[in-house]
Amino acid sequence: MKRVVVGLLALGLGLGLAQQAPLKIGVVVSATGPAASLGIPERNTLLLLEEQTNRRGGVAGRPVQFIILDDASDTTQAVRATRRLIQEDQVLAIIGTTTTPASLGMIDPVAEAGVPKISLAANLEIVFPVDEKRRWVFKTPQTEQQMSVPIVRDMQAAGVRTAAYIGFNDAYGEGWARAFEAAAREAGIQVVASERFARTDTSVAGQVLRILARNPDAVLIGGSGTAPVLPQRTLRERGYRGLIYQTHGVANPDFLRVGGELLIGTRLPAGPVLVFDQLPPDFPNRQVATSYVQQYEGRFGIGSYSTFGGHAYDAWAILRPALERALRREQPSNLAAFRRVLRDEIEATRNVVGTHGIFNMSATDHLGLRFNEAAVMVEVVRGSSGRLEWKLIRTFR
Amino acid sequence: MCFSPLTLIAVLLLLVTPLFLPPSSFYLSLGNYIAFGALVALGLYLLTGLSGMTSFGQAAFMGLAGYTSALLCIGLGWNPWLTLPLGVGAAMAGAVVLGGITTRLKGHYLPLSTIAWCIALYILMGSWIELTGGHTGLRGVPPVTLFGWSLNDSKSYFYLSWVFVLLGAWAAWNLTQSRSGRAMRASKGDALAAASFGVNPAVLKLQVFVLSALYAGVAGWLYVHYQKFINPTPFSLEASIKYLIAAVAGGVGSIPGVILGSGLVTGLEEALKGILPQIFGRTGNYEIIAYGLILVLILMFAPKGLWPFLERYLPRPQPQTPKGTGLPSRPIQGGAGEVVLEVENLTKRFGGLLAVNGLSFQLRRGEILALIGPNGAGKSTCFNMITSVYAPSAGSVRFKGQPIQGRTPYEVHRLGIARTFQHPHLFPEMTVLENAALGTYARTRRGLLASMLGLSRREEEAALAEAYRALERVGLAHLAHHKADGLAIGQLRLLEIARALASGPEVLLLDEPAAGLRAGEKRQFAALIRQLVNEGMTVLLVDHDMDLVMGLVDRVVVMHYGEKLAEGTPREVQRNTRVIEAYLGEAA
Amino acid sequence: MDWTIFSFLAADALQNGTIYALMALSLVLVFAVTRVILVPLGEFLVFAPLTYVWFLPAEVSGLNLKGQIPGTAWLAAAMLLWWAILDRANLQRAFFLLLSALAVVGLAWWGAQGVPLALGWILAVLVVLPIGPASYRLFFEPAKNASVLTYLIIAVGLHFAFAGLGLVFFGPEQFRLPPIWPGQTPIGLVPVNNQAFLVYGFALLAMVGLYLFFTRSIYGKALRACAVNRYGARLSGISPSQAGYVSFGIATLITCISGMLLAPLISPAYFQGFLLGLKGFVAGILGGLISYPLAVVGALLVGAMESWAAFQASAFKDAIVFALLLPILFWRSLRSHEIAEEE
Repeated sequence: MKRVVVGLLALGLGLGLAQQAPLKIGVVVSATGPAASLGIPERNTLLLLEEQTNRRGGVAGRPVQFIILDDASDTTQAVRATRRLIQEDQVLAIIGTTTTPASLGMIDPVAEAGVPKISLAANLEIVFPVDEKRRWVFKTPQTEQQMSVPIVRDMQAAGVRTAAYIGFNDAYGEGWARAFEAAAREAGIQVVASERFARTDTSVAGQVLRILARNPDAVLIGGSGTAPVLPQRTLRERGYRGLIYQTHGVANPDFLRVGGELLIGTRLPAGPVLVFDQLPPDFPNRQVATSYVQQYEGRFGIGSYSTFGGHAYDAWAILRPALERALRREQPSNLAAFRRVLRDEIEATRNVVGTHGIFNMSATDHLGLRFNEAAVMVEVVRGSSGRLEWKLIRTFR
Repeated sequence: MCFSPLTLIAVLLLLVTPLFLPPSSFYLSLGNYIAFGALVALGLYLLTGLSGMTSFGQAAFMGLAGYTSALLCIGLGWNPWLTLPLGVGAAMAGAVVLGGITTRLKGHYLPLSTIAWCIALYILMGSWIELTGGHTGLRGVPPVTLFGWSLNDSKSYFYLSWVFVLLGAWAAWNLTQSRSGRAMRASKGDALAAASFGVNPAVLKLQVFVLSALYAGVAGWLYVHYQKFINPTPFSLEASIKYLIAAVAGGVGSIPGVILGSGLVTGLEEALKGILPQIFGRTGNYEIIAYGLILVLILMFAPKGLWPFLERYLPRPQPQTPKGTGLPSRPIQGGAGEVVLEVENLTKRFGGLLAVNGLSFQLRRGEILALIGPNGAGKSTCFNMITSVYAPSAGSVRFKGQPIQGRTPYEVHRLGIARTFQHPHLFPEMTVLENAALGTYARTRRGLLASMLGLSRREEEAALAEAYRALERVGLAHLAHHKADGLAIGQLRLLEIARALASGPEVLLLDEPAAGLRAGEKRQFAALIRQLVNEGMTVLLVDHDMDLVMGLVDRVVVMHYGEKLAEGTPREVQRNTRVIEAYLGEAA
Repeated sequence: MDWTIFSFLAADALQNGTIYALMALSLVLVFAVTRVILVPLGEFLVFAPLTYVWFLPAEVSGLNLKGQIPGTAWLAAAMLLWWAILDRANLQRAFFLLLSALAVVGLAWWGAQGVPLALGWILAVLVVLPIGPASYRLFFEPAKNASVLTYLIIAVGLHFAFAGLGLVFFGPEQFRLPPIWPGQTPIGLVPVNNQAFLVYGFALLAMVGLYLFFTRSIYGKALRACAVNRYGARLSGISPSQAGYVSFGIATLITCISGMLLAPLISPAYFQGFLLGLKGFVAGILGGLISYPLAVVGALLVGAMESWAAFQASAFKDAIVFALLLPILFWRSLRSHEIAEEE
């Protein structure tokens, strides 16, 4: 917030942009609570983008202002924050939020007020099917379905016949369970066990035993942050020798630190930005991903980037040109009409290259990502420096 | 019924303000959240403020009602008004199970089990995916409609929620002013004294707990149909604790206090969200730290919350002196001289100690019988067995021929036996009049529900008049509206007697009623007892004061080491050599 | 379920149950002496190992902390300082508390500079330990003679504050700690982590120690007397406040060491203590929060129930464990006299 104020003051003094009222964009992220490890990089990215955009002259010559609220990973607070942004701050559009339940909860308030929203949460249900209410809702992250495809293909390639799932006892684990089990069934892989564990659990021996009793060829662990280390360690300690897959929720340095040695060989799907420097030179979003990571690391330190911030980057990458186009058609002071025009322009997004892929929206597709560019498989390996790192093992182009 | 002008102004302000705001203003949605919190907090007012229990599981009751309503509306297409009673019923049923198990136990078991219950239910709501949609939740909960008008925006919903809050507050206020409310406050302070005047504390506690679940259930229903979306997070343990913090911060002992608390916490939450990260420079769960510390500090330094600080500046209502005829008196059956209370072979062992051994005596209608004996002779134990505080190890107690040993104090009291306590068991927080009015509990009938709906006004007036008359008889009427904690010891004993009188008993049991009275007071006391007996009451008293006893009573039973030593008129007993040896000699 | 699975589950149940037993013992100890239900005990359990992470060399912890002093040290020092201010009338004690506050910060600074693992281990316990007794002095003692209920609400408030502080001090993620005794030893079919044997050993030691303390030492007997009658205990030379400090101190010590021994097995994070403590409670309630042996039995029961539930219906695991409380309470309620005098 302070940064926002200082930034605006600098603008007012120096650049003369402040003569025009700033374009207000509302942001809701989960900077605290269980989803904080996802929400914090998103918030950081947006702070970075706001500053950068204004330094470079704003959008169509007008400064932007991101009003960032924390929902503490809680639906109620997200809904409350949404109403506040719409009514009190009169924002043009909303970016957010991090978690699926809260993003679903935000659909009603934004649809009622007619405000376009770009969600940063994974679940397909947030934008599909596009109906009277979801007209207003877009999203940037790959769906769990899209992320399940690489896992299943990789399993097939490795000759996996049976797989087990163990995931968080929350919306994240639940979404993955649905998506993965469906994708596996389609690919002829039998899911022999589907277990749950809590982030706060200190033992998952019971669940792991159940999985071991079914002796699957591979196990997928559906969790985020560092908690998914526990089932993986328990599996290995109990003598499991099969393949272990994780989800992109663990694509953060803390996971490698806590897991250590035993993570070597773990495979997971991730947005291409995770391994930006290993992407083939002709990979379409290599450049955007590289530049994003450099900016982020320049501000928050080497190794600090994660794929989640990329979703926020992509949201702005879509919103910014849409704003420019909308400004040509309508005055922001005419708030309701401008929001309608802005919605249409977001839906008209074509060939926007983001950190996670290329976005082509339509009236029936409010995500616009194809998994071919949006997902890669990576593996945890011991790097040349002796530290654990992510290695790109497969792309799907 | 009349409200103070201040209350009316506050309500009017509440109802008029939204008219000046746009229909989906953020402040109106905050107002809605405050209303939901206020309803839950009103339940906590009844539970904690009135009855001295606590629950960390109110949000789970909200969830139970919310999910029931949402599932029926989405799955079967029912109207929300139809699912309101069902949802609330589900919450209440949950409370019956949980409360039925724990309210008989000591105070801390209930809150502990509500913690566990809240966690368990939260997991259930999150994991039963086929039914509840799991943590992802369910969309498409229909809005509430009223006469074909859909309450879709914050403004119309604001009125709906606040109508419920005002109704809830009104009902809670009615309850506070009723016999049940008095009984709740009494059992909170002193379960034994309450039970001795006909209150069944376990049942009452269960009722209040279920009632608090009702409030939470209504809040849950309102919440879900306002959000139009349901998932488990708003029903977590943390949410429950937030409601408790709201109630405690505002002042859990008063109705405006808990509503204030809800507003305060909801407002604070919004404010802290902006301020704390600026102070600390980075985000963390600072609100949680602030909440925790606020709760701790309030309990340490202002355990009654913030409302008492505001209340000081408000005009106090003038207490009314009760008028009216009082309650219909108990018809006295049977003639003078018949045996009303018969103790036979009564025995009590505490471990190896034989406190009372084979005691037998009879109490006849219209007489004053004294039970005397040196300290430790077993008089009070005997008293406690007659009133069923203790179950006798052997022997029987019969009241008008009916065995009553081993029952409960409240059952015994309802038969027409009233007692006083050796060490006054009064309620210092309540006024003298309210203390005395507890005595009328068993003579009045109106239940919890009738009281809440304000249907017990007339009975309540009669009860207060009755209590006031009892105070007049013992000479405490001039102190009727004072708090009982300011009374001198002699006055406390008189108040004990007044409370017993207010219950219109057939038999009055007085446990050392004259201890601590001055000479003049003793004479007054003796005159009062004589007058009561003339009116047809029967009195059994325990006392040390020989002058008083010998001058007042008709017969004396002398106890020594748990056994009966002698029985007879005062004159006979005074001449009995064994008595002189064992007791009077000792005293001389 | 075959024999192999059963023995694996039993091993898991024993490990969990032992931790719950240690928590339950501490809770019972505190409750019996002070009538406080110490909800924040779970936070103490994770504070010690998380503090230890700050004392580990960078190559072990994987963090680059640059000699930062862990937040718990500042917390402990601040609480001791506040205690010193409260007790300023007793100059000698206030001075001692002031010194302790300085010592805590000093020790933490020393630890953060890089010390041998074993020394860091001890320093971490020493840094966190004062938080327990100081909590009693600062938050519970001023509310003297409050009801069990008031104490309970204060305790819940403290839990929130400490959990929030834990997040601020240590961040949202977990940490890896080096085991004292690495490797596994097979017992029958089941490979058991050697570190788990240390937990069992400590649990036995704590039980025997508590037993001897309460039956043999004058101080322990006085403490027990205090549990029965707070005022009568004065006669045996211990004041209720002292009894409070001692019981909080012992409970915190047991909890800290349990946490230190358990941590390599679980990768601790700030949020993990609460549920462990709560399950300790469920165990303690079996014994009415009064009986130590019943609390241990309850703990093993909870552990067994948990392992079984994790195997049978993992999504509902904790729901099943906490639902276990209902039959336990029902059993207790059948045994209780109807009108219990409130304490």
